[in-house]
Amino acid sequence: MELLLFILPVFFALSVLVMPQSVVRTYGLVGGLATLALTIVLMANYNPAAGMHSFVSQEWIPAYGITLNFGYDGISLMMLLLTTVLVPLILLSNFGRELSSNRLFTSMVFLMQFGLIGVFISLDGIWFYIFWEITLIPIFLIAYWFGEPERKAALMKFFIYTFFGSLFMLASLIGLKSFAPSFAIEDLKAVTLAPEVAVWLLGGFFLAFAIKVPIFPFHTWQPATYSKAPMAGTMLLSGIMLKMALYGMLRWMLPLFPEALDCVTYPIIVLGTIGVVYGAILAIKQDDMKRLFAFASISHVGLIAAGIMTADKDTLSGSVLQMLNHGLIAVGLFLAADVIERRLGTRSLRELGGIAKQAPKFAFWFAALAFASVSVPFTSGFVGEFLLLKGLFSFDSVIGIVAGSTLILGAVYTFRAYQLSMYGPVKTSAFADLSLSELIVFAVIIIAVVFLGVYPKAVMDFVEPSVTDLLASIKQTPIVP
Amino acid sequence: MDALIVIFISGLISIFAAFAKKPVVVLLGASGGLMVAIGLIINQLVTGHSCVNISYEGLSFDPISLVFSLALSVFSLLIISVGYERFKEEPEHTGEYIGLLLFSLCGAVIMTAFTDMFMFFLGLEILSIPIYVMAGSRKHDLRSNEASLKYFLMGAFATGLLLFGIAWVYGATGSFTIEGIAAAINNGAGDNPILLVGILLILSSFVFKVGAAPFHFWSPDVYDGAPHAVTGFMASVVKMAAFAAFLKLFTGSFGMESVREFWAPALAILAVITLFVGNLSALRQVRLKRLLAFSSITHVGYTLLVILSNDNLATFDLWFYMASYGFSIIAIITVGLVVNDAEDRIEALKGLGKRNPLLALVAVISILSLAGIPPTAGFFGKYMVFSHAWNDWWWLVIVALINSAISIYYYLRMLGTVISAEETPSEKIKLSPLTAVVLLICLAGMLGLGILTPFILS
Repeated sequence: MELLLFILPVFFALSVLVMPQSVVRTYGLVGGLATLALTIVLMANYNPAAGMHSFVSQEWIPAYGITLNFGYDGISLMMLLLTTVLVPLILLSNFGRELSSNRLFTSMVFLMQFGLIGVFISLDGIWFYIFWEITLIPIFLIAYWFGEPERKAALMKFFIYTFFGSLFMLASLIGLKSFAPSFAIEDLKAVTLAPEVAVWLLGGFFLAFAIKVPIFPFHTWQPATYSKAPMAGTMLLSGIMLKMALYGMLRWMLPLFPEALDCVTYPIIVLGTIGVVYGAILAIKQDDMKRLFAFASISHVGLIAAGIMTADKDTLSGSVLQMLNHGLIAVGLFLAADVIERRLGTRSLRELGGIAKQAPKFAFWFAALAFASVSVPFTSGFVGEFLLLKGLFSFDSVIGIVAGSTLILGAVYTFRAYQLSMYGPVKTSAFADLSLSELIVFAVIIIAVVFLGVYPKAVMDFVEPSVTDLLASIKQTPIVP
Repeated sequence: MDALIVIFISGLISIFAAFAKKPVVVLLGASGGLMVAIGLIINQLVTGHSCVNISYEGLSFDPISLVFSLALSVFSLLIISVGYERFKEEPEHTGEYIGLLLFSLCGAVIMTAFTDMFMFFLGLEILSIPIYVMAGSRKHDLRSNEASLKYFLMGAFATGLLLFGIAWVYGATGSFTIEGIAAAINNGAGDNPILLVGILLILSSFVFKVGAAPFHFWSPDVYDGAPHAVTGFMASVVKMAAFAAFLKLFTGSFGMESVREFWAPALAILAVITLFVGNLSALRQVRLKRLLAFSSITHVGYTLLVILSNDNLATFDLWFYMASYGFSIIAIITVGLVVNDAEDRIEALKGLGKRNPLLALVAVISILSLAGIPPTAGFFGKYMVFSHAWNDWWWLVIVALINSAISIYYYLRMLGTVISAEETPSEKIKLSPLTAVVLLICLAGMLGLGILTPFILS
């Protein structure tokens, strides 16, 4: 049953290549919904109190310490849910766009999903690395084939940058393995390192994650890549792919190197907080909507990364919730930017205006998204950001206050974008209102966000026991003086 | 041993079959012979004894040399099959080309199985001399002539170094056999400076043969000038055989700690230079084979880590790395051969996906494998090499990883060329069935080798 998590995406990625052109999109959607159904079944059968549900655990290449170890807990399930919800949404939101090859596009999205699912359920360092890297290939191809005309330089930078970071993670893994019998996460956790070694090894992991998240100052690839990639690529990148890195911090970085946490926690939290303010300030000055949302994304994920590093139960649960929330809202906002670009051929705020008069439905859903994005109460962002800020505040009140500015700055850039594009004199030609597929995507996202805002317990029930287990394993590891 | 005889006889047959002026006869003879040889090797691997019991003290076909021979024979079979398209354009010479390749393969097989310096030297020469000829096989092409002459002069020089080194080692240890040398070193010959000079000379000739810096200057010109099939043969078979012998000699005879601490630091520095020279020179190449030559220098740099790693799985690391590299390089060379651009520009690969999807797929996977990106075999090879080198040479592993990151730049540029879709599609490329089979085998090798690891290891 669990193995279907691997089989379904691969099956759809391959079979869609031989489908007739006319049914490719529907077929892709069916495939996306099938994996979603599978995740829901797995969630229904999962008992949060039982901890890690490991469904494959055996040796593979003992001589090289590689094992076959796959399993999931509440945190992984939430990430799987995010992935499988967003993939059909991303496919659906692409219905209105003409691509040079729908077959290749859909196939690549499923390949991407395969890699992402692998990342979220791997419990062996090498498999984690393999899946981590596998995701790079489809996203590169999607952006390369379907991106904007001047994409090549940005993509090159993106690929080299992230690959560079990943290689250091590989080095750290190999280094850590030299103290352990195998790459299985339990074996790696059992290793006790001298703090000065642990700091270096943690550094390798951090570099990989910090580049992918991206945490200031490793973010320079991100705005260009986000704005040059096709809309679906940007959604995949910001919606799911950077969650991979946050998940990696949670699942791998914290538990593996408790010895080093003493001296790295503070600097990383500071970097995350700088990202919060820096991203928000740059977002305020942007003219290109996609770039604006890209910088906003730096701001939001900086907060999540800082929250993860506090290694506090409520804050970690809040960060998982905020990961879901950010994934949903980012997809929504990028779709909104794309809806505008698709109809008017521009994303420049200077050239937009008065769309609300022409397209009231779009104005309504966009406004709802904007409110969700600035975390008003009864949206999931409120709960998540509240927990994160509370954790940061109790960690260090100055950092808490600085990070808290995200609430104000977030409102500034979001509503500036909304106001400039939707209100004011009508500057543009006729603007057709939302099509059915776009409407469905917006509605699903808003409903999910509001549901999570009103009833966060649905997620927390899954996440909290797993977070408790995770933290217990950190606290238990004896620290060598 | 029986496989070696079969390969030699099929080489002879190829040369005489050429009198028939029917290239296809030569192809059938050569590939049939190789398949029989592969069958014999597998048989010996499985049952543990060979069909014909000839023993000769200079050669011992243990499982290690058998798996190396297996890979070498498979690569040769692939190369003969893809090269045939080009060879048959000159029916009167087809037999010679294929025969020379097979003789060269004999030398390669000997280099995996030698037990004394004499057989080793013989193997190396049998391997090299046909290649000198093959590299110049495009007689009317100036670059091909240059390649041949360059390779010959440099190769002869390296051979001289090697002989000189063997003589010094003999002077210090009084023995030609691997075990004899090792025993003599254990008995105290290790402190003898004569021995150390000998080792250094042998080391230099190896570094030349595998094309590591600073003895690499021949390789870009030779790779670039030689016909595609010969380039593929040099990159896969010659490298693998040379490295197999390298590892055998330097762990078998010179592997003792007292001697190792003398040559290992030198080799480590060479590895660093090789990595950077190969990578930085590759960044701006525009010709496919020239780029592959520099990338192969880089790969040699990674492989040198195996020689340094001092781990009992090093042999398998080496086999796996060279096997994955061999499949990848044969695949990409085949693509270059099929595209058949007169100037051999990388640009000629543009829009390959539209011209022939299979060709583009193979090109993409082989580039990913050369770059070492999961889940291709290239990644597993790199991982194995790095993980075993880590204990003694962790800083070298980091240097190698940084170099992997640099190399991504030119691989990615190549990848971008292959998958670019904007170009006005030129005419479609039709693959001959033989080439298609070779491409599929390479594809299976590049994707399947990693998954097969547990079986091969056991």
